[in-house]
Amino acid sequence: MTTNVNTPPDQAAAPGPGGKPRSGGLSRIFNGRVAEASLLPIAFALVIAGFGIARPDTFFQWSNFTSIFGLNSTQLVLVMALLIPLTNGDLDLSVAELSGMTGILVGWLNVNHGWAIVPAILVALAVGVLCGAINGWIIVRFDVNPFIVTLAMGSVFDGIAFWLPNQQTIPGISTKLTDWTALHHFLGIPLDFWYGIVIMLVFFYVLTFTPFGQRALFIGQSREVARLSGFRVNSSRFWAFVVAGFIAAISGVINDGILSAATPQNQGNLLLAVYAAAFLGFTTIQPGRFNAIGAGISVYFLAVAVNGMNLLGAQTYIQSLFYGVFLVVAVVASRIINRRRAATAARAAT
Amino acid sequence: MSGTEQTAPAFSGNSGTPALLASNLAKSFGAFRALKGVDLTINQGEVVALLGENGSGKSTLVKILSGYHVPEPGGSLQMNGLDVPLPVPLGEARTVGLGFVYQDLGLAPDLLVVENLFVGHRVADGLGSFARIRWSDERRRAREIFERYGVALDPNAQVGQLRPTSQALLAIVRAAEELREYREQHGQSGGVLVLDEPTVFLPESEKVFLFDLVRRVVGDGLGVLFVSHDMTAVREIAHRAAVLRDGEKVGDVLVQSASDADLIELVSGHRLDRSVIEQATTYGSEQAAEATGEVVLSVKEVSGGRLRGISFDLHAGEILGIAGLLGAGSEELPYVLFGDVPNMSGELHLPNWSGQVRELSPSKAISLGMALVPADRKQQGAVAELPVSLNMLSLSLKSFMQSGFLRLDKLLGTANVRADDYDVRPRDASLNMASLSGGNQQKVVLARWLEQAPRLLLLHEPTQGVDVATRHEIYELMRARAAQGVGILWVSTDFDELATVSHRILLCAHGTIAGSIAPPYSRDRITSEVYSATARGTAREVTTAS
Repeated sequence: MTTNVNTPPDQAAAPGPGGKPRSGGLSRIFNGRVAEASLLPIAFALVIAGFGIARPDTFFQWSNFTSIFGLNSTQLVLVMALLIPLTNGDLDLSVAELSGMTGILVGWLNVNHGWAIVPAILVALAVGVLCGAINGWIIVRFDVNPFIVTLAMGSVFDGIAFWLPNQQTIPGISTKLTDWTALHHFLGIPLDFWYGIVIMLVFFYVLTFTPFGQRALFIGQSREVARLSGFRVNSSRFWAFVVAGFIAAISGVINDGILSAATPQNQGNLLLAVYAAAFLGFTTIQPGRFNAIGAGISVYFLAVAVNGMNLLGAQTYIQSLFYGVFLVVAVVASRIINRRRAATAARAAT
Repeated sequence: MSGTEQTAPAFSGNSGTPALLASNLAKSFGAFRALKGVDLTINQGEVVALLGENGSGKSTLVKILSGYHVPEPGGSLQMNGLDVPLPVPLGEARTVGLGFVYQDLGLAPDLLVVENLFVGHRVADGLGSFARIRWSDERRRAREIFERYGVALDPNAQVGQLRPTSQALLAIVRAAEELREYREQHGQSGGVLVLDEPTVFLPESEKVFLFDLVRRVVGDGLGVLFVSHDMTAVREIAHRAAVLRDGEKVGDVLVQSASDADLIELVSGHRLDRSVIEQATTYGSEQAAEATGEVVLSVKEVSGGRLRGISFDLHAGEILGIAGLLGAGSEELPYVLFGDVPNMSGELHLPNWSGQVRELSPSKAISLGMALVPADRKQQGAVAELPVSLNMLSLSLKSFMQSGFLRLDKLLGTANVRADDYDVRPRDASLNMASLSGGNQQKVVLARWLEQAPRLLLLHEPTQGVDVATRHEIYELMRARAAQGVGILWVSTDFDELATVSHRILLCAHGTIAGSIAPPYSRDRITSEVYSATARGTAREVTTAS
């Protein structure tokens, strides 16, 4: 009775209210965090290698990659619009339609009304901010579900996008816009890609290193904790929608530049693509948080996969299929991450 | 200012300005006067315990201090000698030198320790919101702070993965640190830390860490208001106790010079005389250790959650106490028997059903006459936003159906009768559950299940966060049910309670039944048996010589 060879579990855990749950230090960190964080980059590398082997002649061309980089910057920018509302615990489903509407607005002012391109862009950005503010104001002022409000507002934006140009494509947007997005290159890649990278880095900084990002994290975790910490929860949520509107408008402008035209179209695929990227991003780089770098990588992971399948002969419907499947996979994966955390916590609590 | 008191809760008598001086604080809800003009003084370096039953006005007082409630005109508050205009601005109590730690701790579990520690620094305006946070500096400062307060916490750990005690320590350090910043701007004086029932969910053996921390905080000169039902904790760290009853202050005594009985009497007033307490605590000795009634539940080799191969019988008319430390597995037993835990195995035999435990589900268990009163009232026991009537009778809605319609009027009528039967206050079953105090909510939860006339009651910490007087009412209620032939399984980490109510007590350690305890029962004996059973590991036999 006095000789205890095996320390009872309860005592092993008891001495001192220690910090971390006990387990094998480094190896656990590598197995857990790092493995989790690097899963997507590894999958990315495998996908590239796979398509490279299947289509070495077309897929593994530098021109193919620069076109992937350049053509998908609309999504790279737009996914950033989601991050702050998502971190706050809010969904914004209107960003894709808002992006489409502001894109139309630039063409409509520039081509149909003869405005110079710069004022047209500025007005479009201002409209993006205003629409985001309307979203945020309705949601915060009347305490209504952002899912429904932004779904409805998205439909409104969509309607306007088709109404302004009479359902026609607006061709002939000022070539300056196309020059400064798709045609000029830096390091061999179109400028619009670098705009997206800059915005991504800004969001990475804001979410990781600023009081603003920290407040969003706490608000997303618990409105009550945030309120009692002295945060103005509603104000933060409002501004998140405003930022989302602004970023969505930027992506709309960039999209005009890439297409050198403004085309009213269904934005369902775009919305699914950015949500799939945001949730895939949640599982990587900084797992368990909506993070800018993870979301950025995810955009290109999805884009490369779609591109590869197109080269293999798949039709455009593959996008719908693929984004849908990946959004489900990403949401389930992020859920598993959270649940595994909870399970670890439960073990630690014993 | 530097020395920390080690054991004696003697207050040396700081003659400086009181850290908190409140007078004539009052608050009414409709016609109900929750707080009737209460005065409160907390000196620097003093721990004042705030005692009182649920519904006595304790939480109203705390909520006035936090700015959640607006007090009636005529009250005043001085912090460190300075007048504070009432109401205290909500969410900004720290700016007047008040820090709060609530029972739920106010931590974000998915975020890191360092992020939670400095959350108060993230309040900023304009461009300040985008100033860079240097995480390496923040982590270094966090380590310095933890070292200064003598707590072992890793700034990089995720809060949700910490033990509950560590989480509580983090919450207290955070509040104390914010108050230290306040003191730096106010001549190193003032500051009051309000601890609102922080020990409720902590295992007994780890509360000492919390007491050490509070002593250290007080050693720095902060005042502490310690709101608790836990007499042991109060005795351990409080210098003075202010007692509220029915919204009035009925006592303000030095803890050293008052006995437990004195304090309990102050808290409960005339409604509970001393003989009842004494009679209650010797109840077990009058009972035979072996129950004789019909077996209403026979558990054979049941495993699930942390439990491995549990076997025992529960008899009609018996209150069977299960004593175990948190994490022993006993806390999962009621849920396993109710069919609410995945991957269970083993057999159950009831008078009207026998089978594998994994065939059970909560709905099946209810149809077999089982009832489960969970410990987590907020999440599992009741719905705060629905009225008392619906919470109380939601299992019996069928009996209020009349030609296809739910008769809400009859429902409310019956609920009001039950509120009377079970002494639920206020006596208005149309109120939302959230507007009741913890003890009264628990009575509603009990009433809800008793309404089903269960043959088998599974109770998990049924008096957690419930005041002394209501506890004894609940004990009486359960004894009466047992006398009617109901079998009651009572899982608790409150061994005083188990000694009071149990006819028979089983020990649970490391997921198994480690033995039983023979009467007479007392808190001290159960405690020592449980601890030695836990220390012995999986030993089966426990000698109970006295």
